[in-house]
Amino acid sequence: MKNDVQTKTDVKMTEQEISEKFNRGRKIIDFVGSKKIYFCVSLGIMLIGIICNFIFGTTLDIQFSGGATLTFSYTSDEEHPIDQNALHDFIQEKTTDKITTSFSEDLMGNTGKNVSVQFSGNDSIETDIQKNLEKDLQTEYPDNNFITLEANSVDASMGFSFLLKCLAAVALASVLMVLYVTIRFKKIGGLSAGVMALVALFHDVAMIYFLYVIFQMPIDSNFIAVVLMILGYSLNDTIVIYDRVREEKKLIGRRADVGTVFNVATTKTLKRTIMTSVTTLTAILTVYVLATIFNISSVKGFALPMMIGVVSGCYSSICIAGPLWVMWQNRKAKKKAAK
Amino acid sequence: MKRVPKPVFFIVALLILAFSFTAIFGVSYYTGDNKNTVLKGIGDIRWGIDIRGGVEATFKPANNYDATDEQLESAKSIIELRMISQGITDYELYADRNSDRIIVRFPWKSDETEFNAVNAIEEISSTANLTFRPGKSYESTDVGSDGEYIYKTPTGDTATVLMDGSAVENAEAQYYQDDSGKAQYVVSLTLNEEGAKTFEEITTTYLNQTVSIWMDDIMLSAPTVQATITDGKAQISGSFTAKEATELAQKINAGALPFQLETANYGNISATLGENALTAMAYAAVVAFILIALIMIIFYRLPGFIAIIALIGQMGLTVAAVSGYFPAFPSFTMTLPGIAGMILSIGMGVDCNVITAERIKEELRGGRTLDGALDKGSKSSLSAIIDGNMTVVIVSIILMLVFGPSNILSFIFGESTTGTIYAFGYTLLVGVISNFIMGIFFSRLMLRSIAGIKPLRKNWLFGGAKNEK
Repeated sequence: MKNDVQTKTDVKMTEQEISEKFNRGRKIIDFVGSKKIYFCVSLGIMLIGIICNFIFGTTLDIQFSGGATLTFSYTSDEEHPIDQNALHDFIQEKTTDKITTSFSEDLMGNTGKNVSVQFSGNDSIETDIQKNLEKDLQTEYPDNNFITLEANSVDASMGFSFLLKCLAAVALASVLMVLYVTIRFKKIGGLSAGVMALVALFHDVAMIYFLYVIFQMPIDSNFIAVVLMILGYSLNDTIVIYDRVREEKKLIGRRADVGTVFNVATTKTLKRTIMTSVTTLTAILTVYVLATIFNISSVKGFALPMMIGVVSGCYSSICIAGPLWVMWQNRKAKKKAAK
Repeated sequence: MKRVPKPVFFIVALLILAFSFTAIFGVSYYTGDNKNTVLKGIGDIRWGIDIRGGVEATFKPANNYDATDEQLESAKSIIELRMISQGITDYELYADRNSDRIIVRFPWKSDETEFNAVNAIEEISSTANLTFRPGKSYESTDVGSDGEYIYKTPTGDTATVLMDGSAVENAEAQYYQDDSGKAQYVVSLTLNEEGAKTFEEITTTYLNQTVSIWMDDIMLSAPTVQATITDGKAQISGSFTAKEATELAQKINAGALPFQLETANYGNISATLGENALTAMAYAAVVAFILIALIMIIFYRLPGFIAIIALIGQMGLTVAAVSGYFPAFPSFTMTLPGIAGMILSIGMGVDCNVITAERIKEELRGGRTLDGALDKGSKSSLSAIIDGNMTVVIVSIILMLVFGPSNILSFIFGESTTGTIYAFGYTLLVGVISNFIMGIFFSRLMLRSIAGIKPLRKNWLFGGAKNEK
């Protein structure tokens, strides 16, 4: 952080002068100057996340952790209907494991309807839990003939090798992306821009992950969907700002202070950043509200982290990737000067 | 600035709206009770298990066979391979080692209103044991749906197996024209080294006799050996259709299960997201679209209005690429991540219009003329949009290659697809390409064209300050 002081003395222009010179008198927000606050906020949230991770652990969905599946058959008719959501909630209350339920209609013609309850991470369901659950269901729904049909314990369908595959895919995509940014943004120190864009992406993934941990939502395939979407969103956000930095740098000139260039570029794109985020948030909020109205918890659990991700993606581009890039550039300049 | 003729706006807008309308709603007519689909719309999309539900089946080894863990694992990967070769990418597959069960879930097939679950399950769980047997004695016959006899269950001499599918290195469906010019489909087999040797012995021993080829319990063909075959090539002919030959080749390639499976139980599963997920999403799409349209028009006026038309076009194109509207692109299995990909690409479509509109606004307020501002605004916003979209394209292509059927990392991680991620990559890629076409090309074309219409040539309509002309 020593070169930080250096940067500040380099900037001889006052805020007033900068805004007069580069933005027709409108205020230029000093994003780089407040970087310590941003870094602290991000690190703070991550710290809370890590602490929560130690306390609660992560809940993995059965697809990732493997687990046990109990299948019950039941009957349901007009007089004794069964609401699938209510049934799910009822079973969830009876166990500490995170469950997912799926409903099926038997086609072999034996039993009518089935519900299978998946207990993630718990691959050996003790018989008394199983018996208790059957009993509980029979007491709660006396007219629906709940009977245990099957009990299976299964391996993760997306297990460790899936995780490795995901990491390999991420590594591959990262390399190509940094390469693209390096080539396209040569003028603003391509490699540093690419690497910092990557840092911003990891920041967003960490934020979503910790959100799942803090709220103890099970990590399921929705998580993958959210992470992927936010990666794309954040990447686009960062690139749009870089593009403006590239342009402003050309306008302001080579010798301008990097921090000022970044501040000017970001302030000028701020309206766009806000408008795009607002429209995206509006769309996702609509999904969230309708999922609440229809009481579809799975879609809610998909929309909520996505909203957080949009905010984080936008924040990380401005407050993390940018200042880090400025620090890198300053450091490089200092090294050059030292030579 | 290069002027674009005024009528261009109306022509392009109308074309986009007409295309998107047909792409979203589809075109179909009824003859009696039969629905004839001319163009596929949203209703024809094949939805994944999470959204629409599908089939769940539990398999167990037949005859209380006690399978080892390795056998169970190999059975699981063979089933996985079969599903991939059938174009089912979003499946869930679990193996239960304690009770020797394999549980599989897969979505409904496309184009099928009445899904034949029994067929699909039989297809996936068949042992697929290819055998070469002496003679052609069979126990029973059946009449197939096409009126031809099906010979079942080998007996007598034929009960002995000379060679099985493990000797096959590769099977391929081939086509040739017979003497009368009729198209014939065969499955040609390339045998591995050991298989070639065995086959040479067989064709020597049974020269001028019949050797029959069986798939599990059914006789495929019973040719007479006419010469000793030493090059390890064999052919199965059996009056196949093109589809049958391809399926048979796929089955042989996927390999035989290490033990026979029987279906312990199967059924329809309802959408794992919940019953009303699709309805809720549909409502959400409509409401969100209206809200976005309002925001865009209120903040960006005329460019906002054009952005909405371009967005409709982008959605239309994306839906068309998913539903099978263009015959060249088969319909695609849509899952929740697929919808996330769509949301992201539409978000980027909005972004691309916002960037341009903001830029035009900025230039106008900086004192440029309308034409100058449009020109400069479009030009200087282009690089941001292209770079942003290109990086996302890179990510989506990698995701498709890694998690889709092409599976470029299969040499490390083995054959498997993750349909949900593949779907995300696909919709994102298609969405971003649509964005290039609609959000960049057509929306700029429309903007320039509309800027030539006199009553609309007011700075205010393009985001300038209100008191300016």
